[in-house]
Amino acid sequence: MASELIIKELHVAVNGQEILKGVNLTVQPGTVHAIMGPNGSGKSTLAYTIAGHPNYEVTDGEIIYKGENILELEADERSKLGIFLAFQYPVAVPGVTVANFLRAAINAQRAQEGVDPKETAIPMVQFRRELRAAMESLSMDESFARRYLNDGFSGGEKKRLEILQMTMLKPSMAVMDETDSGLDIDALRVVSEGVNRLLNPELGVLVITHYQRLLDYIKPQFVSVMMEGRVVRSGGPELALELEERGYDWIKEELVGDAS
Amino acid sequence: MQANELQNMPTLGLLSSDMIAAQARAANEPEWMVTWRAEAWDFFAQAAPPKWRRTQLAELQQETIAPLFKAQGTAIQWDKALESKGVVFSSLAAALHTHEDLIRPHIGTAVNPLAHKFSAMRAALWQDGVLLYVPRNVEVELPLRLSYTLADGSRAMFPYTIVILEQHARLSLVEEYTSRGIPETALVAPTTELFIGPGAEVRYLTLQQQGQGVYQIGGQVMQLGRDALGKWTSIALGGQLQHMELEARMQGDGSRINWVGATFGNQQQNLVTVPWLRHIGTNTESHLEFKTVVTDKSYSVFDGMIKIEHESHSTVTRLEEHAIHLGSEARSDSIPGLMIDTNDVARAGHASTSGQVDEEQLFYMQARGIRPDEAKRLIVMGFFEPALAAVPLEALRESLEAAIEAKI
Repeated sequence: MASELIIKELHVAVNGQEILKGVNLTVQPGTVHAIMGPNGSGKSTLAYTIAGHPNYEVTDGEIIYKGENILELEADERSKLGIFLAFQYPVAVPGVTVANFLRAAINAQRAQEGVDPKETAIPMVQFRRELRAAMESLSMDESFARRYLNDGFSGGEKKRLEILQMTMLKPSMAVMDETDSGLDIDALRVVSEGVNRLLNPELGVLVITHYQRLLDYIKPQFVSVMMEGRVVRSGGPELALELEERGYDWIKEELVGDAS
Repeated sequence: MQANELQNMPTLGLLSSDMIAAQARAANEPEWMVTWRAEAWDFFAQAAPPKWRRTQLAELQQETIAPLFKAQGTAIQWDKALESKGVVFSSLAAALHTHEDLIRPHIGTAVNPLAHKFSAMRAALWQDGVLLYVPRNVEVELPLRLSYTLADGSRAMFPYTIVILEQHARLSLVEEYTSRGIPETALVAPTTELFIGPGAEVRYLTLQQQGQGVYQIGGQVMQLGRDALGKWTSIALGGQLQHMELEARMQGDGSRINWVGATFGNQQQNLVTVPWLRHIGTNTESHLEFKTVVTDKSYSVFDGMIKIEHESHSTVTRLEEHAIHLGSEARSDSIPGLMIDTNDVARAGHASTSGQVDEEQLFYMQARGIRPDEAKRLIVMGFFEPALAAVPLEALRESLEAAIEAKI
């Protein structure tokens, strides 16, 4: 089964205002694809739309994953298909511990239509073992598992928890929305190493970032630039370096030049 | 007249203070108690019904309520070894004979029997009840458990609980109100007075899990002495209706209350909670965090009040109520109030929120594969976590979680 993520002519509106104006993009399994762009270019809209946020209205186009038009699936169904969104702003849920949440998420992934969820649930011992190993690999203290989900977490802790979830849920398509924002250099290294450990020939990664800095740690094979709701340039890693050096304005000027 | 001949009494509308006094004398109650009951009944008979605008009492008819003049639903669980330390955990009726000296100076001093029709009715008619006394410096670490269960076929119950902690005593108490089966319209009208002595500490968990059809209308007051600490958890899940007037009274200087509440209404339930934080002493501190969930066509009311009396100084107080609506037909009202009769308050505030399950929380969970119904369950359980975390017995906590999950 073809497991690329294929985005075709995607138009998305939020509160009636069109944000994405025809995005085309393909992410192959086993590759890291970076999307860069200035603020307001539609990068995060693309991330939320892939994950299925109900406030993002797809007015035209398709998103195909594993041969399915995922626009017809709810967010939880997309997740079960292997799509994972690492949130830019992870949401706090007071009263729900990290451990309970993770177990519910893993059991949701394992659940099968028509089978008693008790049959497919992860055994407690196995869950604890996997959780401990994953937390160790991200230098997280054990007490973390007993804290309430993102409640009172620092920026770095939130991002680490996103990677912990990704480690435990083993997605086949990860969308990382500004995972570098709010991280100091040490946290950035831990988070990036966590992602790099997960890279495998089946996993496609879409890294969304404003800055080139993250791409020093998570190396993309492809770089696309988004502006005003479209992908306007695509290339290899050298494009990211060029953006770092020259900023985004030259692309804007070239676009204006092309149009005239 | 034999006591057992009077066990089946007429309905409320046909009772008289003479009949109540005769019954009390037949049970050999002290004369002051006979008078106390009769006066309360006289007050009940002439008082107008209270004007509780948000409490739907229309269906509750005096003609259908026939009190039993016999304690029949009190159950206590405790370690008898505590007796040797001077702890008393006894039925209130028996304690009237064995510990009259403890009861007489306390009963009716925290909860005013003549406050309104229902408080008077409770004072006049109590049969079930408990006296719990913990002497000075005695610590009761394992939770004691007190259950009032409305029996099959019974139409009314008026449990009266008196808890007295002497100086530096410690106690953990679970007080449960339940009913057997699914009763027809019935009335459970409990009164609890807790007197927490200087430097004493109480953990008090009160659970209301009445069956369908039960109207629970009661009052609970925790009065805290100098430097006393109260940790109060109130959880209300059951009944057709509840109207509970609760008060933490910071009487002594330096007294503190830490209070969490949880209410979950479904179907046609009307659950009204009226919690007061009353500051009388100086340097007193209170914190109340109350959570409400409503679904179906239920209607919950949080009518909370911070009252700071003129003699108190440097009060710190915060009252919070948060409500989640799981259905569009369910309603909840939050009416937090603040009455300050002094110029010297350190900090006083209240907050209240209400709305549907947070969409961003829901999406965050769905993005991990969790189905919306399961996500809602997790969010609601998490919302109630502060109250559930305070349940001292693991088995009890699990049964409460199951009861809550069944309502989601």
